[in-house]
Amino acid sequence: MPDIPVAKYALSMENLLKTYHAGEFDVPVLKGINLHVNRGEFLGIMGSSGSGKSTLLNILGLLDKPTGGTYLLDGQRVETMDDAMLTELRNIKIGFIFQAFNLFPHLTVEENIEVPMVYAGVAKKIRKKIARENAERVKLAHRLDHRPTQLSGGEMQRVAIARSLVNKPTFLLADEPTGNLDEKTGDEIMELFHELHRQGVTIVMVTHNPTYEQHYDRVIYLRNGQVGKEIDVKNGKITEFEVKQ
Amino acid sequence: MKFSDQISLSFHNLMLHKIRSVLTSLGIIFGVGSVISMLSISQGAKEQALASIEAMGIDKIIVSSRKPPMEGKDTSNASATTQTYGLTLADLQHIRQMENVKRVTVARNTRQKIMKGITLLELTLIGVDPAFLKDSNSNLIQGRWLAPGDYLMKAPNCVVGRNVKRKLFNLGEQNIIGSRITVENHVYNVVGVIENNHGTNILGIGKPDDMIIIPMTTSQAKYGNRSSTVSTGTLQVEEVEYDTFIVTVEDTFYIDYTSKRIAAYLDKTHGARRDWEKLVPYDLLLQKEKTQNIFTIVMASIAGISLLVGGIGIMNIMLANVYERRKEIGTRRALGAKKNDIIIQFLLETIFLTFLGGAIGVGMGIGIAEVVARYAGMPVAFSVWFILLALVISAAIGILFGTYPAWKAAQQNPIDVLRAE
Repeated sequence: MPDIPVAKYALSMENLLKTYHAGEFDVPVLKGINLHVNRGEFLGIMGSSGSGKSTLLNILGLLDKPTGGTYLLDGQRVETMDDAMLTELRNIKIGFIFQAFNLFPHLTVEENIEVPMVYAGVAKKIRKKIARENAERVKLAHRLDHRPTQLSGGEMQRVAIARSLVNKPTFLLADEPTGNLDEKTGDEIMELFHELHRQGVTIVMVTHNPTYEQHYDRVIYLRNGQVGKEIDVKNGKITEFEVKQ
Repeated sequence: MKFSDQISLSFHNLMLHKIRSVLTSLGIIFGVGSVISMLSISQGAKEQALASIEAMGIDKIIVSSRKPPMEGKDTSNASATTQTYGLTLADLQHIRQMENVKRVTVARNTRQKIMKGITLLELTLIGVDPAFLKDSNSNLIQGRWLAPGDYLMKAPNCVVGRNVKRKLFNLGEQNIIGSRITVENHVYNVVGVIENNHGTNILGIGKPDDMIIIPMTTSQAKYGNRSSTVSTGTLQVEEVEYDTFIVTVEDTFYIDYTSKRIAAYLDKTHGARRDWEKLVPYDLLLQKEKTQNIFTIVMASIAGISLLVGGIGIMNIMLANVYERRKEIGTRRALGAKKNDIIIQFLLETIFLTFLGGAIGVGMGIGIAEVVARYAGMPVAFSVWFILLALVISAAIGILFGTYPAWKAAQQNPIDVLRAE
């Protein structure tokens, strides 16, 4: 185990493994991922389908457990936690943003933004206040009483982003957040992520769209369940890794 | 997650589909409705039956004379037969001194025909002891009851039941105290009017409401120690000393014992003639309660089946609901809903549904019972306990049939549903 100062990284993975069992066969999907995400970093994770992107996303989001290696989230080891503890961590440490927005159609914008706070047990009055603040942050303060069906796709994703922020998570985990949007709206959403990044929010974005590369601090490319390439966007440094077959 | 938030979330979800919620609850609505209406009707019938039995007095043993079969005698050729049967003075004296017997009130039907013009009225002229008013559970509504003086003087005074007043007197005559009644050759002064609100029918002598009541002493003085009746056709004379003993016991705990002793004594003295019969309201009460309990069990089973069907219906809908909302469930799980939060959310929705169904069902059941009471004339009785029971059962059905769908909802794997588009 390398000596990693706990506070340094928002999350870090060491030799992370994930193997699925399909009948008698073991299907290794993640074959030793090493990943360290700094606080305030904007990380892009790219990869073609079958590269293990989704599996890594699920493990990053504490929706699935690795079969080996370590995963430290905000300094806490999470591989051995039970479902209830993982759920609690998901609630307060991770801000989920989905491709399909996943808003609750029968709730208002304000109520949608409140949902993670409801599960965190925050009192209603405080919930309302924080929901308003975050709606302003995504420039939707005027839409608080609307229902998602009355919003455009870009506005819905803004609601989802506001919702992901309310519990002040360690990082935002965005899964193809522009996948359901047209190009112009997608650019606007990326601009919003960029703005949040400037405010110091840690963001991990999983995507297969290479056009947003300039927004990230760093991009990693998954290949065959391993990190195949890493690009440090700021200084253009590209590191290739050997991918074992 | 706070419980108050859980409640408002589940309630909110139900309100999204008002029609579906009501339709889902229909089984429970009808189940609880039938439970409440059946309970109310059966309780009403039970109370009525018990009241009429109780009105006879649960501390009473009623022994009465009965005309025995003719014991195989060929009476076709006989021009005149005299049949003497029934309870005697010796029986009375013996029963009076039995232990646990508080008093014996006797009554004798004089078997006089009571006519109005040429119409035979279904009224009876009965000689009784002073305690008869109390022992027959009747109330004086006008005038006075027979006084010791009436007995002493063998006075031709009578107290009449309220039907007698209605049948013998004109509508306009409200106050009939001091009026006269003529039965065959005898004239009686009316001194009081009684009523019997329980419809008591006393074994051997009938309903107090239909009686013209005179002192036993007067009856004996005017008609002799034996009352007799003469049938038309062949001359057939029946002689009966006493028609009814109303035996009041000291302690109802020993009523069965006392009743058996009286029966044993009469069996011995009257032998095989079987010219008497006996009725113990307390026994009737016990029997009635027993049959009522069986009735209640049968009804509860029927109601239970309809509630079971309703519950299964709700479970079915909730399972479909869980499948339909798996994306919502997955999103909630990702955003921080624990498995328990999901279970509670869906369980509460089911409980609200069944409770709502129960509440509507209670209203419907009361409505049905009211309609039955009004149009079928059946007595109904409501109890707060029925309503509480129905609501508790509804909630219990919610828990019983909501647990599985709720558990199923919590088992949804967020990974499977989040990316499914």
